[in-house]
Amino acid sequence: MRDDASSSAAAIWAILRKECRSEWRTRYGISAALLFSVTTLTSVSFAVGRLGDRGDILAALLWIVLLFASLAALSHSFVREVEGHTLTLLRMVASPTSIALGKLLFNLLFLGVLELVTVPLFLVLMGAPPPHWGAFLALLGLGSAALAASSTLVGALIAQTRSRGSLFAAVSLPLLLPVLAAAVAGTRAQWSDGSIAAPARMLAAYALAVLAMSLLLYDHLWEE
Amino acid sequence: MILRATLFLWVAATMVAAFVWAPEVPVLGPTTRVLYFHIPSAWITVLALGWSMVHSALYLRTRDLAHDDHAAASAELGLLFCIAATITGSLWARAMWGSYWNWDPRETSIFFLMLIYGAYLALRGSLDDPVRRARLAAIYSCVAFVAVPFLMFVVPRIYFSLHPDPIINARGKVDMDPRIRWMFLSMLLAFTALFFWMLSLRVRLGRFERKREARAVAHAN
Repeated sequence: MRDDASSSAAAIWAILRKECRSEWRTRYGISAALLFSVTTLTSVSFAVGRLGDRGDILAALLWIVLLFASLAALSHSFVREVEGHTLTLLRMVASPTSIALGKLLFNLLFLGVLELVTVPLFLVLMGAPPPHWGAFLALLGLGSAALAASSTLVGALIAQTRSRGSLFAAVSLPLLLPVLAAAVAGTRAQWSDGSIAAPARMLAAYALAVLAMSLLLYDHLWEE
Repeated sequence: MILRATLFLWVAATMVAAFVWAPEVPVLGPTTRVLYFHIPSAWITVLALGWSMVHSALYLRTRDLAHDDHAAASAELGLLFCIAATITGSLWARAMWGSYWNWDPRETSIFFLMLIYGAYLALRGSLDDPVRRARLAAIYSCVAFVAVPFLMFVVPRIYFSLHPDPIINARGKVDMDPRIRWMFLSMLLAFTALFFWMLSLRVRLGRFERKREARAVAHAN
């Protein structure tokens, strides 16, 4: 049992490293996501100017930019394997659950890097008032975890369909809406000095629930 | 045959009764009549989603494609009733609240349900192999099952609802006219029976379609 756990931990770690390395080779996903977020931010900032006193709009904009900047790349994690014909090989060396968990960790890391650039730029360009850092970072972290958990699972499903990329937004959106609603509500609350306890709990519970459900389901992902 | 005739007569009789026999509620006026169709539709929307999800989980457990037929048929019918509930609700909102759509929590949650149904059917539509389609759709259905309580729970916490109490016979409705109560019960029964009848038809059709596909594949080989 112990060996089992340590070998699947090793497999997850190996998948994560492989993901990072293949992303680093082309930097296709991260550069597309960063370009998207910078383009969106500058065009919104150009169009509406600074929104310093509108915490509600700022919160909604921040999460919309993060969501759509990351969607394209997150959907790609499994599609890339199918298109590169590497999925079969990958499945021979690791269990579906470790593959999915490795990719989930990579997606989380990816979101972290994306936020590292997007969030400071957002705060500066939109003239946002300084956030309450503790609450703000907690929301970003929990929001990213929930986002990564649900989009990894949907990405795995989508990779096996005919239309792949184009279906991802439509299929993942119902699962991401609760995340978006809670994250926006929490971010808005911290800008107006409110309590973020309820949205933060909601995000944490959602991330855990989706993760637990996916762990039950990942073994059914591939069978033939 | 007798069952079908009874169902037909029952649905027809309740529809006529909804317009002729049932009284109007004072504040709601003539818009009361919409509710006799709106509330049963909303109930079927939820029932169909639950039915579909239960059969999805059963499919993953048993790998019997008959469960997949149920899940798919129920989702299609659920979408139909969901659209019916949305349209009737929207008409009622126009009459009572002054606008067709205002992101009231109830409007939001039914919209989410519609998205889930739509996504489920879109996912099914993009898969050719019946076994793979059944498996992936069932997985999606199980994850959506996690999202539904959150959608129902997050949204009412964030926004204030104008929607009348969604639970029948809850507080304040005790003094409801007994004719209205009978009307609702009869409508719920009629809609539920209608749903299960349509479901059995769709399931049978799905089974035939699957057999025909299999035969076409066998011929091609």
